[in-house]
Amino acid sequence: MREAVHILDCQTGQLAEAEIFDEIGLEHFIETQATWRPLVLEAARGLAANPQQAMLIPRHFHWDWTRKEAELKLLAVKFFGISCAGQLQGIMKIDTVARSCRLPEQQGKPLVYIDYVETAPWNIKLLMEPIGKPQRYRGVGSRLFEAAVLQSEEEGFKGRLGLHSLPGSESFYIKECGMTPVGRDPHKQNLLWCEFTPEQARRYMAGE
Amino acid sequence: MNPKRTMTLNLTDQEMSVLEELSTQKDLSKTALLRQALRLYQMVDSRISRGEKLFFEDSEKQKAELMVL
Repeated sequence: MREAVHILDCQTGQLAEAEIFDEIGLEHFIETQATWRPLVLEAARGLAANPQQAMLIPRHFHWDWTRKEAELKLLAVKFFGISCAGQLQGIMKIDTVARSCRLPEQQGKPLVYIDYVETAPWNIKLLMEPIGKPQRYRGVGSRLFEAAVLQSEEEGFKGRLGLHSLPGSESFYIKECGMTPVGRDPHKQNLLWCEFTPEQARRYMAGE
Repeated sequence: MNPKRTMTLNLTDQEMSVLEELSTQKDLSKTALLRQALRLYQMVDSRISRGEKLFFEDSEKQKAELMVL
């Protein structure tokens, strides 16, 4: 699958043509290690140097996508990437069997679980500011989130979606995406479990 | 959307009955349910092949290992 999508070029203020795809291979994981990780670590060091900003260090600074190579062969796992200007701008891993719905009205029904999602560090304003670099694109995370909703529909799950939100992303998923915060999960670092019903997914995709 | 191939599946009445019951319970089509079953089977098989074990835990925290053939 390869589809054209648009993200916002923060430098020009214009929409930029990007491509979302699911043919992810080890080369994409290596790209995140080679081009993203050094920048994430540089930004994390910058934030750590200032006690007032230390709390802003991204929780995912140590992620290593190459460790997920074995999962490329699993039917239950799917990866999506988004590229623009010849570079990988974001990557996401979803799982269709590992979790099920927890909201009472849809408890036990299958959902698409967003296991990992990461945006290239140069697209995160919070990370670029401490090292004096500009944010390049906006909307990468939203395009990946939309791909997860579409995949849920494709699977016959009717848009049902779930994820454990990192603390810094809770507001995005609840306020901007309209997900229901179901509760903290003591089995997953006490992260907040958020969920979409089919109706919430429909409203999100319709931009309501 | 990835291209799909079609196959015919012959089931006994009992198997079809279970398939229909689970489809209703999970709010899935029969095809979607069988695709889920295949994914789950592959995932379990893959992890057991790596030497991992699969356990069920009851309400009293008693664990029983599931032996998958």
